[in-house]
Amino acid sequence: MDINAIQAQLEDDLSAASSAQDIEAIRVKYLGRKGVLADLTGAIGSLPPEERGVFGREVNALKLRITESVSSRLNALNIKASISDKKETDIGLPGIAQELGSSHPIVQVIEEICGIFARMGFSVLEGPEIETEFNNFTGLNIPLDHPSRDAFDTFYLKDYPKLLLRSHTSPMQVRVMKNRKPPLAIVVPGRVYRPDAVDASHLFMFHQIEGLLVDENIKFSDLKGVLEFFAKSVFGSDIKMRFRPHFFPFTEPSAEVDISCIMCKGKGCSVCGRKGWLEILGAGMVHPNVFKHAGYEKGKFTGFAFGMGVERIAMLKYGINDIRLFFENDLRFLKQF
Amino acid sequence: MKVAYNWLKDFVNITLNPKELAEKLTLAGLEVVSLKESSGDSVLEIEITSNRPDWLSIAGIAREVGAITGVKFDMGRFNRLKAKAGSKRRIEISVANEKDCPFYSATVIQGVKVAPSPDWLRKRLESLGCRSINNIVDITNYILFESGQPLHAFDLDALKRPFVAVRRARPEEKIITLDGRQVVLNQEILVIADQDRPVAVAGIMGGKETEVTLDTRNILLESAVFDPVLVRKGRQKTGLQSESAYRFERGVDLKGAKTASLAAQELIRKLAGGKVFSYGSAGASEPSSTTIKVKMSQINSLLGVSVPVLKAKQILSRLGFFVKVKPKETLLVKVPSFRQDVKSYVDVIEEVARIYGYNKIPMSLPAVKPSQSQDGARSSISEVKRVLSALGLNEVITYSLVDRNLLAKSGIGQELAPLEVLNPLSKEQEVLRYSLLPSLIKTVAHNLDQKQECVSIFEVADIFLPSRECPREEASLGIALCGTRSLFLERGLVKDEVGILHIKGILETVFRRLGVGGYSFKPTGNGRVSVVAGRDEAGYMLDLNEQVLAAFGIKNKKIVCAEIRINKLVSAGIPEKKFSGIPRYPAIGRDISFLVKDDISVEDILAEIRTRASSLLSSSRIIDYYQGKQIPSGFRALTISCEYRDKDRTLTEEEVSPLHDALCAGLENKFGIRLRQA
Repeated sequence: MDINAIQAQLEDDLSAASSAQDIEAIRVKYLGRKGVLADLTGAIGSLPPEERGVFGREVNALKLRITESVSSRLNALNIKASISDKKETDIGLPGIAQELGSSHPIVQVIEEICGIFARMGFSVLEGPEIETEFNNFTGLNIPLDHPSRDAFDTFYLKDYPKLLLRSHTSPMQVRVMKNRKPPLAIVVPGRVYRPDAVDASHLFMFHQIEGLLVDENIKFSDLKGVLEFFAKSVFGSDIKMRFRPHFFPFTEPSAEVDISCIMCKGKGCSVCGRKGWLEILGAGMVHPNVFKHAGYEKGKFTGFAFGMGVERIAMLKYGINDIRLFFENDLRFLKQF
Repeated sequence: MKVAYNWLKDFVNITLNPKELAEKLTLAGLEVVSLKESSGDSVLEIEITSNRPDWLSIAGIAREVGAITGVKFDMGRFNRLKAKAGSKRRIEISVANEKDCPFYSATVIQGVKVAPSPDWLRKRLESLGCRSINNIVDITNYILFESGQPLHAFDLDALKRPFVAVRRARPEEKIITLDGRQVVLNQEILVIADQDRPVAVAGIMGGKETEVTLDTRNILLESAVFDPVLVRKGRQKTGLQSESAYRFERGVDLKGAKTASLAAQELIRKLAGGKVFSYGSAGASEPSSTTIKVKMSQINSLLGVSVPVLKAKQILSRLGFFVKVKPKETLLVKVPSFRQDVKSYVDVIEEVARIYGYNKIPMSLPAVKPSQSQDGARSSISEVKRVLSALGLNEVITYSLVDRNLLAKSGIGQELAPLEVLNPLSKEQEVLRYSLLPSLIKTVAHNLDQKQECVSIFEVADIFLPSRECPREEASLGIALCGTRSLFLERGLVKDEVGILHIKGILETVFRRLGVGGYSFKPTGNGRVSVVAGRDEAGYMLDLNEQVLAAFGIKNKKIVCAEIRINKLVSAGIPEKKFSGIPRYPAIGRDISFLVKDDISVEDILAEIRTRASSLLSSSRIIDYYQGKQIPSGFRALTISCEYRDKDRTLTEEEVSPLHDALCAGLENKFGIRLRQA
């Protein structure tokens, strides 16, 4: 038989094989005791003596090639078999990972807002919660015994006559201006306290973020520009804004800032009390008396300040309707953020 | 403050419908919070800021409407009023302290006919939610609403001569007020008194005994100005509320006090007849007046606009200021008596801006000069929070003001007296906490009640420590863990009950991240472990005892918690990172498995290894421990993995074996460990 034909036949057989059993059958067919190779070897004796040497070498070489081919084909099949035979994991089982914790939603909102102002070049500072009467009121042009103090109804400390729990974050304006000269660009997040009866929208402790920018030639239009950038960053670029005149002792002119209701887009709904607008912060140009208390040269600097309630913004942003949820700390609430 | 749309029209010709008017007022700083129909009129409810007492009147708001809409405003009935004949007879008025009462006037009107009010008067009062009483009382209220000046009418025949003394109440003096309540007065309350007794709480409410009734024939009409602070305090002390007090507290116009009285007298004459018999007054006759100089450049540069000088002048004039332009581009603004809030040039600028329209001011972005200084503590705290939430803890925020019982029942800091608040509204706000843990334990308990299996929470907040000079406030980190964590592994669910080692692991991770070096944990008994960083105690860990758990209503669970002073963590700041080379030569690892008496601390064994070992020992750590049935009681099994390495070459077994054997022998000697075959 032609050696080349045998080789070709083997390749055909092997490529048709799809299992170890097939390969074994092929091995037996070619290399077995009664296989093709045995026949060839048996045939050597019937050849003329001068041809036997060459033929024998060719048969041996063929045998070697067949052995190699069979075993390499078997290997290839085994690898495939080992992959396909492995039991598949039920991917429906729960994934394995350390469960992440969470950051409190109020903290997330504070970080977001401070981050927005940081992008504009403001630095973030914090101040103490126990304050002096001077920093909380007098230094901010809120005279003693003035009804404007009613709006900043305050917890006083027993045994320390001039100390109180800050009723707003504005005293940090006084602290910073006492120690630093303009230019100043800061935001101050923190806890504040007011003796309010607790209900779905009032608590005796909440968070504010104060902002202050002081330099030469700061204008009301700058205040509007900065607050617009802020509001659109938090609530989306399609909101509308409006500035309403208001009164704060430490700013003049003063404003309250509304955004178009994010629920009804200004049409009027229960969230905005049918007004179409949501008040989000108070702001204004720093009152010259505040600069005077800080010891700044008269008329040299102008600036603006603003303050906002973090809970209110978080409630609007996340659609939360009861402020008490923030401090109940139910994990079913916290884990949503 | 309520105003009726048609009533406003008495003073100004409004061209807008009520809704449009509400919108305009809101944008000028008079926020209209509701618009309703009442008694045939549209009633706007406006939130008036505390600096604008002049807006607490129909006329004041009408003046504003005139300025906003550019329509002429007219004071109407308050123009051209003159005192009538008969007022030459004097009433003696004594004012004890002029600061308490800068102005007081009394007019006696004889022969009035008290009767129900005519319909128009009754309806107007009712539209503002004021009940009609009789024509005299209604007239005083009508003028109050219209002009903002509170008036009061006494029944003259119920007063004993001399009629009027304005003085502080005597201790324990009493009065029955118009609302029928008996009020006990004191020296901090100002009263109007006749010869014997107080007949009115000054500026707040009249007395029942001198009330004008249908039988009244002669009246004494009061128009006065009282000290705002005194009225406010008097109201707070007596608990009385009134439209009068609301206005006096914010400050009424001295000039207005006179015209209001005359306007009321005219109405009384019309509706109830009678004749002015006598008059008396005490105190300042002319209010002081200020003139403020403002340059147009000041206005325009502060606002970022370019308002022409004539526009600014027109705005201010319509608001009732007397304005001269002198010299060019400079406004001399004389402030009318009803605008005591306008004291400086910035107040004038606000008036211009308000009427010009805040929303017409453009937007610009300032060139912010960023500051180099950073709050280092803040970024360290952020890092701590990130680590903790990555470790699976949920951040909470709890109240800094707490119930003192909450602190007490936690058993924490019992040697401390918490800082007290002077004026808490409830028990829940009475003290400032000196530890975060009581609130965290309470939060854990709340969540267990909601059937949570595992609660791991933390808070970073200030705590408040009493101290003689000045209370101390410092940032603190609190952690509380409770329950069983469910871990899914390939082989199935593993339950892991949290304990003190979980807290330890969390703290170690935080410390490593912040680069806090040289920390250690030292048990101090009763489930408390002191956490030492450097030389100081940075905080402590606590395995809560049954008693405390029971106080919080927690059964069959344990809570472990920790509180760490933040300044001990962040004083170093987050260390700058420096790369150290990855080892180039392989290490040889040798494990030691042994039994050791369980009263020998692992800490000591590891310390011994570190001191004994050759410099080639690069690390040693516990990789397994066991205590249980398979080993003798009183012992535990430990496996410590030791790693030997030289940074400059590959070590050989022959070098390491004697070192390691010596180490084992040393441990056998020192601790009596019994080596096991691994």
